Amino acid sequence: MNIRQQCKEGILTKNPVLVQLLGMCSSLAITTSLFNGLGMGLSVTIILICSNVMISALRKVIPSNIRIAAYIVIIAGFVTMVDLLLQAFLPDLSENLGVFIPLIVVNCIILGRAEAFASKNGVLASAFDGLFMGIGYTLAITAMSIVRELLGSGTFGGGILNGGEGIRIIPEGYPAMLLIMPVGGFLMLGCLIAAFQFAMKKMKAKEEAK
Amino acid sequence: MKTKNTPLFIARLALTLFVICAVVAILLALVNQVTAPRIETINAEKATKALTAVLSDADQATKLDDFQDDTGMVRAVYASPSGYAIEVTPTGFGGTIDMMVGVSKDGKVLGVSIISHSETPNLGAVAASSNSKGQAFREQFIGLSGALAVSKDGGSVDAITSATITSRAVTSGVNAALECAGKLG
Amino acid sequence: MAPMKYFYELTISSSPHAHSPVTTRTIMRDVLIALFPALCGSVYFFGFRALMVTLVSVAGCVFFEWGYRKLMHMDSTVYDLSAMVTGVLLAFVCPVTIPYWCILIGDFFAMIVVKQLFGGIGKNFVNPALAARAFLFSWPVVMSNWVKVGFENAAGIFSTADVVTSATPLAAMHQGTMTSASLWDLFLGNVGGSLGETSALLLLIGFAYLLIRRVVSPRIPLAFIGTVAAIAFLFPRGNDPLTWMGAQVLSGGVMLGALFMATDYSTSPVTKLGQIIFGIGCGALTMVIRYFGSYNEGVSYAILVMNACVVLLDKLGRPVKYGAPKKEAKQG
Repeated sequence: MNIRQQCKEGILTKNPVLVQLLGMCSSLAITTSLFNGLGMGLSVTIILICSNVMISALRKVIPSNIRIAAYIVIIAGFVTMVDLLLQAFLPDLSENLGVFIPLIVVNCIILGRAEAFASKNGVLASAFDGLFMGIGYTLAITAMSIVRELLGSGTFGGGILNGGEGIRIIPEGYPAMLLIMPVGGFLMLGCLIAAFQFAMKKMKAKEEAK
Repeated sequence: MKTKNTPLFIARLALTLFVICAVVAILLALVNQVTAPRIETINAEKATKALTAVLSDADQATKLDDFQDDTGMVRAVYASPSGYAIEVTPTGFGGTIDMMVGVSKDGKVLGVSIISHSETPNLGAVAASSNSKGQAFREQFIGLSGALAVSKDGGSVDAITSATITSRAVTSGVNAALECAGKLG
Repeated sequence: MAPMKYFYELTISSSPHAHSPVTTRTIMRDVLIALFPALCGSVYFFGFRALMVTLVSVAGCVFFEWGYRKLMHMDSTVYDLSAMVTGVLLAFVCPVTIPYWCILIGDFFAMIVVKQLFGGIGKNFVNPALAARAFLFSWPVVMSNWVKVGFENAAGIFSTADVVTSATPLAAMHQGTMTSASLWDLFLGNVGGSLGETSALLLLIGFAYLLIRRVVSPRIPLAFIGTVAAIAFLFPRGNDPLTWMGAQVLSGGVMLGALFMATDYSTSPVTKLGQIIFGIGCGALTMVIRYFGSYNEGVSYAILVMNACVVLLDKLGRPVKYGAPKKEAKQG
């Protein structure tokens, strides 16, 4: 297991959102502005790295009978810390993400990586796994956020740029509001997965042609 | 791994879990120590901001613990010499709307300010937005009294275009505040 | 795709080898003919913009279907006329004031997202026109801009700025009060509403043509309208039950939905029992949305929800295999 392969798996071939379809709840719900997507992605990445490292370090100490309980306690601890820190230092983001920060506890990506990777691999490898899976998640939901925000509210960079209003690209009254509602999340995720699979297939065909 | 149900093994399980919980709890306590005062100031700031939006003498407002709430919507009541600021939580299209309503001593609306909400952007969310439409919607309540209703239901409140449910919710919140203030006298 | 073509050329099938002159094209042509009276009516009630909106919608649907099949190197299915039917139906469920760009987005959604991405005609699981209408509620202001009926109030073909708007009968009925329009006006279609849904009379004339041509069976429409009528009669919300029932059945999209949308071949069940339950479900959901929902009208959502149940409804009332042992017969 080398870093390069881990990087490729996390971002492309085993992308948590687009290939493993983990953590759907948050990726559908909060991807309505660039600020939300980036904020959620970074929060998950930080928690993922911390919990992966911790669980990997303790993997020989935790008996398998109680491993899930132990993982959840560790994950919940980190999530609560991040939640408190966000509330204290980034109140706007905390308000926008609302209940989805505490819900990272039950985000399948975190527990999934703990069970599938961190509990079987060394600390360093687990840290990189957390980092790359987190980057894969962040890239996917940020891409989704940008498209949904552009088509649904007609702005770019909502929450960060232009004093939080975002830069208006499509004039008011024209954007398709449905895309920032939950149904738009499903539509957009489907399109994104299809486009991603298409690109991956093309890449594979190219590699094989060589 | 084969399960060994010896008392010693079970004790080991319990101890491991206990230690993990204890360590996590200690870490959380540390983080909480750092963040708690900041979160408190932020929340207090938010409340005063909403208070100043609806009461002219918000700095003299004090929180009342004793109030009568028949609607189940009133969350907090503040009293000041010029009137009351009442925090109400009606249910809108996307969930509860947390809003502050200022009511004068003679039962007239002094102002409406929305603290937090989860309404649809560009539609219901207009009620809370700082643009001219949102301001016009909130300011129309000022000076009104009695039982209010949106024009669609035969009242005098102009609903936000295509957001009747949000408008109704805000109106019901104002009604609840007026009723609560009326009982306070 | 060479083997596929080969397969088409040499059709191998078991007997009987009866040949029927009925093709998708003839069916769709009959549906278009059946929709024609209602189109004429919409021009009479709302002016020539109604015709323009319909034409733009049809052109858009045909273009998107043709373009997608061309891009994906698939056989063109434009000549089966199904895209034209979707175009007309989508125009019929929109207000006459809808901007042309908006209806073209609806066409795109109906043809590409709902129909072609699922494999084209016969493979879409919901009605494309209704799904597109649901999508067009991205612009709720556009979709609830009801113009006052009558040729003198007709919206301009290029500008809708100076139209007189009015509430539809359903808006009053949503509050539980009887509409001011008479039942006769509702029957003729002399009321505000979507472009092609207002006139029950003209829609019924078209449907009678389809019945005579044996293109559709009356099972779904009867179950649909019957359920709406029964619920309205039993729960009149304090109004006279008979007039209330008439108003509920004749207003909004019940007629258009029951006669032309719920009967769509690919999105309705094939078994008799399935069709009846499908119709009852559509009717009941329509009334639930009208009585308890936040929208005035529930027909399109009711049909969409029932469309999604067709997979299950198709399992009901399947004919039993002749001579099969009991156990196997049950499994069908």
